[in-house]
Amino acid sequence: MTKRMWMALISLAGLFLGVYLTMYKFGIIGSLACNVGSCEQVQTSRWSVFLGVPVATWGVGFYVLMLVLAIAGLQPRFMDSRRLSLAVLLLAGWGVVFTAWLNYLEAFVIHAWCEWCLGSAGMVLVLFVLALMDWRETKQADDEVAA
Amino acid sequence: MANKRVETGRGRKPGVVKASKKASTSNRAFYLIIAVIAIGGIAALTYASSKSNEIVNASPVDTTLPTVKSEGYVMGSSTAPLEVIEFGDFECPQCGRFATLTEPDVRKNLVDAGKIRLRYIDFPLPMHPHTWNASRAAACADAQGKFWEMHDALFANQDRWDGAATNNPDKVLKQLGDQIVPDKSKFEQCIDSKEMQAKVQAHWKLAEARHVNGTPTFVIGDQQIGQSLTYDQFKQLVDSAIAKSGKTAPAASGDTAKSTTVGGKKGDAKKGQ
Repeated sequence: MTKRMWMALISLAGLFLGVYLTMYKFGIIGSLACNVGSCEQVQTSRWSVFLGVPVATWGVGFYVLMLVLAIAGLQPRFMDSRRLSLAVLLLAGWGVVFTAWLNYLEAFVIHAWCEWCLGSAGMVLVLFVLALMDWRETKQADDEVAA
Repeated sequence: MANKRVETGRGRKPGVVKASKKASTSNRAFYLIIAVIAIGGIAALTYASSKSNEIVNASPVDTTLPTVKSEGYVMGSSTAPLEVIEFGDFECPQCGRFATLTEPDVRKNLVDAGKIRLRYIDFPLPMHPHTWNASRAAACADAQGKFWEMHDALFANQDRWDGAATNNPDKVLKQLGDQIVPDKSKFEQCIDSKEMQAKVQAHWKLAEARHVNGTPTFVIGDQQIGQSLTYDQFKQLVDSAIAKSGKTAPAASGDTAKSTTVGGKKGDAKKGQ
């Protein structure tokens, strides 16, 4: 298993998580109630929507894009593409920044933690680390070829 | 990995064929795992959504718990065959969703038709910073016979006074109440003095005593339901409770008692169950 394969797998898992939370947000899955310190409080807070779109749906978009890039990166054509590595790294970096903002809101504004959101945060962090390693390796490989 | 990538890439180094075979087996295994995860994920989501219409948090009412007497705020006919109790929190988004989306149908088809009487009891949850302010404001409006109007305004404008919107909820609550109550200065004084705190505390204690642990929680017949309900689910539970009680529900709307608003303070002495 290469790093890009791991990225694709994690993205797929994240995609399902995002779809689950989106369905939850729209009431398709489960019924929401207000209980102490739970996902419901986070999911129903005013911060669960960003630019008119549920945060979970933004997550779906993020993971779809990441999945597409990771799988494209497995194709011979893009195997050595440093541009693709950079795109993945930038996307993952943006994911980390956005997730950090959401975690900040959970901790200091909403005062509640959503375990699904924390799971997604963990995945985004792992994706970023993998993307960073992948980018460094393509750079190294390019340098070797250039030499 | 860098070396491997170069080797298995576009033939930059010798040993490409061997490495490609390895890569192709690895790729096959990878796509198999992807397919398994995809199928598993889709199956899990389908299963979860198929369960969404079930009422999962219903439990029989413990008859040893204290009965609901005249606390709370009542809407509907005192002769209705069933009283439905809602333990609610004005700052809870799900209570807001129930109040704005489901409750209009409940009032029109069940309360106005004389099938049920609706009782609202405050259960301010600790994670909602302004919910006590809202409950006190609703009690202050009730003192002027305007509880339900204030109830509706509070839920419809949650995003104007909740913990994320403002640090001065009383200011917004006064603005909302002033449009509703006949005596504004009395209402504002009531909010400032917090004179309704004990009343809200009594409601909160009642909910605690009845082991309510979230909002909205409904008591419909012999069932206590700790989740939000759609109108269909609500009606189904009401119909079943009326059928169990053996009382007759009015056949059609319009031929029965009109909806009346009875403030809790003025007292509807009927027992809740």
